[in-house]
Amino acid sequence: MDTVSPVKSLTRRISTTVAGVAGAVVLAGCAQNAPQDTWKPKGDNAQMIYSLDKLVFPIAGIVGVLVSALAGYIFVKFRDKGQAIPAQSHGKPIVEIVLTIVPALILTVVGVFTFRTIMDLAETQDTEMIINVTGQQWWWEYDYPAQADQGITQPIITSGQLVIPEDTNVLLRETSRDVIHSFWIPALNGKKDAVPGRIHLLRMQADQPGIYAGQCTEFCGLSHANMRMEAIALSKEDFAKWVANQQKPYTAPAEGTLAKEGEGVFINQCARCHQVNGIKDANGKAIISAPDENVYSGAAPNLTTLMTRNTFAGAMFDMVNQKCRADVWDAKSEDFGAKYLAGVTEDCLNEKNLRAWLRNAPAMKPMYADPAKLEKTNGLYRGMPNLGLTEDDIDKLVAYLLTLK
Amino acid sequence: MAIIERPGTSTTPVVVTPQQTLGAVKRPVATKGWREWLFTVDHKKIGIMYGVVAMVFFIIGGVEALLIRLQLAMPDGQILSADKYNQMFTMHATTMVFLFAMPMAGAFANYFLPLQIGARDVAFPRINALSLWLLIIGGLVLNASWFLGGAADGGWFMYAPNSGPIFSPSHGVDFWVIGLQIAGVASLLGSINLIVTVLNMRAPGMSLMKMPVFTWMILVVQFLLVFSLPVITVALVLLMLQRSYGATFFDVSQGADPLLWQHLFWIFGHPEVYVLILPAFGIISEVLPTFARKPLFGYPFVVFSGASIGLVGFGVWAHHMFASGLGPVSVAVFSVATMAIAIPTGVKIFNWLLTMWGGKIWYTTAMNFAIGLVVLFTIGGLSGVTHSVAPSDTQQTDTYYIVAHFHYVLFGGMVFGLFSGFYYWWPKVFGKMLNEKLGAWNFWFMVIGMNMTFGPMHILGLQGQPRRMYVWTEARAGEGFFNLGFWNLVASIGSFILAVGVLFFLINVVITARSKQQAPLDPWDARTLEWLTTSPPKAHNFDRIPVVHHLDEFFHRKYEEDTATHTMKKVAEGEDLVRAEGDAADAHIHLPSPSYWPILLSIGVGLLGLGVVYGIPMMVIGFAITLFSAYGWVLEPSVAEEIDFEPSDNDGNTKEIAPLG
Amino acid sequence: MAETATHTADHASEHGHETSTGLTNNKLAMWLFLGSECLLFGGLISTYMLYRGRVSDGPHPMAIFDIPFTSVSSFVLLMSSLTMVLAVSSAQRGDDSRTNLWLTITAVLGATFVGGQVYEFTAFIREGLGFSTSLFGSSFYTLTGFHGIHVSVGVLMLLSTVGIIRKNKITGNKAEVVELVGLYWHFVDVVWIIIFTLVYLIPS
Repeated sequence: MDTVSPVKSLTRRISTTVAGVAGAVVLAGCAQNAPQDTWKPKGDNAQMIYSLDKLVFPIAGIVGVLVSALAGYIFVKFRDKGQAIPAQSHGKPIVEIVLTIVPALILTVVGVFTFRTIMDLAETQDTEMIINVTGQQWWWEYDYPAQADQGITQPIITSGQLVIPEDTNVLLRETSRDVIHSFWIPALNGKKDAVPGRIHLLRMQADQPGIYAGQCTEFCGLSHANMRMEAIALSKEDFAKWVANQQKPYTAPAEGTLAKEGEGVFINQCARCHQVNGIKDANGKAIISAPDENVYSGAAPNLTTLMTRNTFAGAMFDMVNQKCRADVWDAKSEDFGAKYLAGVTEDCLNEKNLRAWLRNAPAMKPMYADPAKLEKTNGLYRGMPNLGLTEDDIDKLVAYLLTLK
Repeated sequence: MAIIERPGTSTTPVVVTPQQTLGAVKRPVATKGWREWLFTVDHKKIGIMYGVVAMVFFIIGGVEALLIRLQLAMPDGQILSADKYNQMFTMHATTMVFLFAMPMAGAFANYFLPLQIGARDVAFPRINALSLWLLIIGGLVLNASWFLGGAADGGWFMYAPNSGPIFSPSHGVDFWVIGLQIAGVASLLGSINLIVTVLNMRAPGMSLMKMPVFTWMILVVQFLLVFSLPVITVALVLLMLQRSYGATFFDVSQGADPLLWQHLFWIFGHPEVYVLILPAFGIISEVLPTFARKPLFGYPFVVFSGASIGLVGFGVWAHHMFASGLGPVSVAVFSVATMAIAIPTGVKIFNWLLTMWGGKIWYTTAMNFAIGLVVLFTIGGLSGVTHSVAPSDTQQTDTYYIVAHFHYVLFGGMVFGLFSGFYYWWPKVFGKMLNEKLGAWNFWFMVIGMNMTFGPMHILGLQGQPRRMYVWTEARAGEGFFNLGFWNLVASIGSFILAVGVLFFLINVVITARSKQQAPLDPWDARTLEWLTTSPPKAHNFDRIPVVHHLDEFFHRKYEEDTATHTMKKVAEGEDLVRAEGDAADAHIHLPSPSYWPILLSIGVGLLGLGVVYGIPMMVIGFAITLFSAYGWVLEPSVAEEIDFEPSDNDGNTKEIAPLG
Repeated sequence: MAETATHTADHASEHGHETSTGLTNNKLAMWLFLGSECLLFGGLISTYMLYRGRVSDGPHPMAIFDIPFTSVSSFVLLMSSLTMVLAVSSAQRGDDSRTNLWLTITAVLGATFVGGQVYEFTAFIREGLGFSTSLFGSSFYTLTGFHGIHVSVGVLMLLSTVGIIRKNKITGNKAEVVELVGLYWHFVDVVWIIIFTLVYLIPS
């Protein structure tokens, strides 16, 4: 076949490619400060996994390089140089056996370490704190049962940002109200699915105060991409402050303020689904939300302390502007607690995001909120619908929401 | 076609009892035009049609992939809506797995398996045609959903309860469920057919351990399918009953366990992974020895490792579920079992390398693709080992690291294997050589494109970018020049380079089809029986059924060992051997005849399935057609009598008295 | 030599010539099909076993099963295996009329079983166990319904075989055709024994 010319530099090109890819990965190839980097553990559990990675990846890398080198050698050395057709040998069993046993031994070593880590990561005896984590389309709810030794005297319900004390073994009890979601804060641990009808346990521990990003990682429908979360680790003192703030009684805005008018709008428009603990109607009767009558999952975020969280709507949108955000995210560990606990001040509020959300939520985050398409759910929304608020209402609501902290 | 006679021999055909087909329907007899293809039962024509269909779906799935990469090239992509994106990645995977990879392997298996074992057709030629048409109907149903209210949007894994009637209210999932059931029946029938063919119809002397490795790997794959397809069928039936008839299987409010679906799906889904890769392993186990001019190193080890990959493949399904909330003991067991499967896979890699060791390597495009598979699959295999480590996998699963892994094994592995097969067997199937220059362009664009697309995904995944997100945000992309945005862009550019590579192949096909230059009968100095006949092979494959004495029979008919130097010397030319076969042709070659029933039955089944969406009347019509075709089928002898056809005009040479089917 | 080879390759499926395994193509294919069916029923049975006790609404299994009735219909189905054996042996002797007789009796017994199942289903529905009532309901009807469809297809095959033998239009080896139908029939019977034991006899 004259048309077929041997590709001489095949070996070199392949090895260049391999080396190039490997080099890119190892050297300058990676993003810096990627918030969800799996190789930047910030807690014991993630560290255990990372230690395993530090064993397995080099082994895989070395095997890869050796095999590629062998392949490269073969491609060059045994190319057709006009030699005779070689003897038709069918193999050497001893070579086969060695080549079976060597990988088996390597994998046995890996297997032993893997087994130990699996068991360590399943340990629950050392739990110091429990938080119930519930996923639904497309946000996370965190429910802190009363636990006196953590200073939590009455249950706390919050969403989006999971607040935990530093250096404490927290056990998350995960479930879901609709489809399967997966809770994943890469810096603190691997992921664990939140499955409706089941409770799955996941350990969390953070070495230092800080904010750790995460993302729902089990495909959960339309807005799966928009279901994020953050874990916030606070020093023990700061955590106690956070708990105290969460548990403080509700104070209604002063009469005659814009915020007070906003409270009225909230009661009319929002309180059907969103609970604000302690809010009362004009007659002094406590208002209890009934999200189950409006939303398929039966839950909507509790907004009692909305402005203590600096993201909203499934941790999708910043509640604070760029400058204040950077201030918190980039804070040094020792300054972090104070900055986070400051919450969303009027200066920091990202009014654009919040207003846009109030104006038309489904336009910002795809949700099943078209009333025409809710036949299968008997009219129940999946996600927040467009409430058709006037700009006037929105002004009032923003003023009111700013008081929730 | 019915009967091929040699002049001068007795012309009494073997008596076939029945006289007529059902009712007034006469057999199809066309030898030209579309009818020849629609009603054929010839495994070679069916194989070619499988190939064409699979290629069409490869292009469709590829366009879907390009749209996905366009959307993700930049942060907050605007090309696709969330809804469309979810449909896109669901259908990309479904199309590539069920409508490209499996049918393309089916194309090779159909065409070459009978040829490699020295048979004249498969065991059940009409069932073979039925498999093809059912697959086409299944594929059409699946893709029709694009135009009938939106495609399935739950991911190819279609996890419950997100796939239920409430969470996925469009009909997309219904079409998906129906289409896959039909395609599943097609695969099941195909796999039974091929197993029987291999076990029962080998040429005299071809013991199991003298079978070509491609045939072996196809055999293993068919066993995997026979025992895994029913499990996915159960899952699909449960989902269909829930979505369309009010069953409660995945309704958590009734106490259902969503993990049931995951178990059923992955009990099928993991063997399916080997269903996808083993045919490619088979192809390059033919290509590497041919172009290294040496037999496969450790043939029995390669065969047994293939079989054990298949067997162990049934016991590792839960490694797709390390984050699903299994207990630590199950996780540990499946983790270790998954590591164990790396061993036979490693054995294969080493055997391929050692096949080339001491060889005389001839770098053709087919060989380049085969080598590409060895290298790229090794990378994918090693990243696979990193997530057999269950704790690491909980960081990696559902991120782009996994996407990188399975595209290295499936694109770098499977697709490269299939392309190797295209270049290797093209002259056999069409009698013309694919252009090697364009082949080089094809190969290098695919290699570079593939590494640019999927290489960066390792970084994206390990640095925390999850899969199945219709947008990614700069807020989570990190800093520096090589941030996740950079790598997303590289991957998107790579995907278009990859597409250009595939385009070179399509151009090559067109140019080759227009060229008048015929390929030599034995262009690669090949080793196995399919080369011991003309190119393309005659309808009856072999003029005389070969008697087999060796593994690599064809090679050993051409070469003998020089006992002094232990090198091989050529004692016969392949072309002469082929001609000699023609001179000693058999008398009375009876081939199965074309039939209307397979395609009609498939249409009936298709309508029956669509009845699930469109109501009882359509179901009744579909059922009636199915039943009518089934009776027509049963009453029709597979080999027609001569009276069904035009008489012969016996004019000398081996003459076909009836049209080819 | 060449002729034998030719036949081996082309006609084994139709005429039962010698094959590499000794089994005819048809029989080997039927065994493989039944092997695959085992996993189909395995999946359905597993689903049922997982969900049998999950009754959020409607009757419990043990409250509605009529064990004596189902035992009788199971016995009828079991007997049909016997008559099927007789049909196969008649077919092997080449006795068409006996074959047809036994095949017809087998079909009648099978149809009786299906009739019993239809009656049972209607009785259960009257007692409040709908298809959508509970997980138990869905998985019970799906499993037994799937089996019922298999029996019905079997009855159709039996009657068709009778018709085709009568009109002498059988393609291929008559005894083998009957035997293949028999294999399928016995499989369906055996599956029922398992279903009957697991679903009806073992209390949930």
